[in-house]
Amino acid sequence: MKDNKKMKYLCISVLSVLAVIVVWYVCIDVVHMKPETVFPGPVKVFRSFVDKLSAKAPDGATLQAHLWASIKVALFGYALGAVIGVPLGIAMAWNKWVDRFVRPLFDLIRPIPGLAWIPMFILLFGIGITSKALVIFLGALIACIVNSYTGIRQTKETHLWVGDVFGATGSQKLFKIAIPTALPMIFTGLRVALGTSWTALVAAELLASTKGLGYMIQQARAISRPDIIIVGMLAIGAVGAVFDALLHLVEVKVAKGMNVKN
Amino acid sequence: MMKKSVLKGRASDKTINVCCACAAIGLFLILWYWGTAATKLGMMIPGPLEVLGAIGRGLFGKVGRHSIMAHVGYSMMRVMIGFAVGSIAGVALGLLMGWYGIAEAVFNPLFRIIRPIPPIAWIPISIIWFGLGEDAKIFLIFLAAFSNTTLNSMAGAKSVDPEVINAAKMLGANERQIFTTIVLPASVPSIFAGLQVAISSSWATVLAAEMVRSSEGLGWMIVAGMNNNDMIQILSGIVMIGIVGFILAIIMRKAEEVLCRWNKSGE
Amino acid sequence: MSMEQERGIENSIIECTGVCKSFETPEGEHQVIKDFNLQAKENEFLVLFGPGQCGKTTMINLIAGFEKVSGGSLKFMGKEIAKPDPSRGVVFQSTALFPWMTTMGNVEYGLKMAGVKKQERQKRAQNYINLVGLQGFEKSYPVQLSGGMRQRVGIARAYCNEPKVMLMDEPFGALDAQTRYLMQEELQRIWEAEKRTVIFVTNNIEEALYLADRILVLTNCPSTVKKEYIIDLPRPRNLVSPEFLALRKEITSIMDSTL
Repeated sequence: MKDNKKMKYLCISVLSVLAVIVVWYVCIDVVHMKPETVFPGPVKVFRSFVDKLSAKAPDGATLQAHLWASIKVALFGYALGAVIGVPLGIAMAWNKWVDRFVRPLFDLIRPIPGLAWIPMFILLFGIGITSKALVIFLGALIACIVNSYTGIRQTKETHLWVGDVFGATGSQKLFKIAIPTALPMIFTGLRVALGTSWTALVAAELLASTKGLGYMIQQARAISRPDIIIVGMLAIGAVGAVFDALLHLVEVKVAKGMNVKN
Repeated sequence: MMKKSVLKGRASDKTINVCCACAAIGLFLILWYWGTAATKLGMMIPGPLEVLGAIGRGLFGKVGRHSIMAHVGYSMMRVMIGFAVGSIAGVALGLLMGWYGIAEAVFNPLFRIIRPIPPIAWIPISIIWFGLGEDAKIFLIFLAAFSNTTLNSMAGAKSVDPEVINAAKMLGANERQIFTTIVLPASVPSIFAGLQVAISSSWATVLAAEMVRSSEGLGWMIVAGMNNNDMIQILSGIVMIGIVGFILAIIMRKAEEVLCRWNKSGE
Repeated sequence: MSMEQERGIENSIIECTGVCKSFETPEGEHQVIKDFNLQAKENEFLVLFGPGQCGKTTMINLIAGFEKVSGGSLKFMGKEIAKPDPSRGVVFQSTALFPWMTTMGNVEYGLKMAGVKKQERQKRAQNYINLVGLQGFEKSYPVQLSGGMRQRVGIARAYCNEPKVMLMDEPFGALDAQTRYLMQEELQRIWEAEKRTVIFVTNNIEEALYLADRILVLTNCPSTVKKEYIIDLPRPRNLVSPEFLALRKEITSIMDSTL
């Protein structure tokens, strides 16, 4: 009985996506509710997508080239932010004195959205990879610190006391009890950081770049090609979703049996 | 660590924290001042005094066409409208999706396609659709608030204790009553978690929107500073952005404390 | 079984005949209740007593209407049980209180759903809050109350709708021993003040003997009635009287082991 319900919902899901595409098609290509220069139909978007896979026009690079340019920078800034942010967050939560000195500064920086730093970095380092990577690095750093910090803080005191009973040293308690308990939250932080990095990248590329997906859609706007904009948006969304799914797979493997919620 | 607190009493612990905070911030300011006054850093970045001075002058003076307070006002107004509409829509849809399987089947796939696209990526298309005015920006903030609140609300509706629902059924509540009197209040903590992310996301989005295309607002202010090679303006903008963002986060936290009084789960 | 038939069916509030219940599991069908026969009379305190996880909770869920039987018939006042209803009040082991509502909010909820006006329903709810001994705690939230107090709210909440039957699924199981004894006395007092039919589930023999008019001893999985005992001792019961201890010894000896 339960399988029937699942099948029914799956069909409804597929139908609803198809319904949207059909309505979209009817509104634009059949009824011509809006001109194609303002709102392209699904057919045009699909054709532009296929086209862009090989054409360098109108912005100087193929879709894949833009994609690769974006991904490179995003992953670099993200990796750096995660590698520094996670240990820093753990240190802040584990050692009271580190917490006392670092946290006030952190709380001041935290409410500033990553992309607010873009103008400053551009003035200092010019338009290019350095500025973009720094912004992404900052965003990833903050997200990783916050979640690693919360994760360690949530380690139940009783569990640590069990460690004491067995004569565990400080670092053993840290690595064998606190960190494993914090892993789900650390992974949440990594996933949030990934999302933030990707968003920050797109923002940076919109403002000042010469390649990448953000640049592509900004150029498309300038020459009034909304079909390319939509292709770019869907590509941005797809990449973000794929990264998130990959990270989720890693999380499931690593944090098995520790209440991995979706 | 525990022995120290026991000997000195709890009040001391708090004062130690405050002292360290002041020391850390003070140290940072001093380093900043000395760094810009005494070294080559001063050629790239202005010192704290210059920035504070600019803020003081600009608060009710003029930066571009408006005072800093007016810029803050513009940014805030856009955030408030977009956040309010987006959150209400997101919470409503999320709760429905969490409670009614059919709603989830219909809307979830569309949601999963649209959500990974950052609101910022919508800027070019929203300018084409809505023009260069307020609507485009408010639409973006709406998107930011909407996508962040829907998921959390849905999770909240799904995680209501089934025994509590059985209790409500036993007491005579029908389906609609269960939704409004049980599922909704039970989801409030999850909803608030979503709202907190939504407010900071909305704040980031309004800045992005203003940075791309605007003539007022804090986002405009820092981009204008960039275009005029005016580092002081950029930094004063960043400081104001931080202050406002901080206030928004505090308001959200206080609201949660009041509305979720009953949820002290003893962590 | 013949005693039940002698007493006559017209007296029964709850009547189970040949009830079976199975659940679908990945390993196949798992039968939890088999050929269960039970009749609960008006204002009778009936205890279902049995080892560990043997289907006692499922039986309560079936009578409450939260689940449907796989076979047999289950009747309340002569009609088949279809869905949950305030006339069959339930007290849960986990209390299942509404955490965002005060004591008053929880207790008056059933009346609110039935459309009773505010003044009237608050008066009636107050009545039951007093009955369970929680005067003064009307505005407290569950998180501010102790385990025993929360369960009192649960009892008042179910009682408030003047049910014909109270179904209690190990309501004191989560309390410490001291509070548990106290609550048993309290329940006894409340029940004597406002008599209802009660079907009470427990795996604690003292609790069963202290409260019951009649005890049905259940088998392990799949659960069915093993033996019935009529407890005719005067109330409040003396936990160390020879009759009490004799019954206790006998019932414990015929009980299935939990493992």
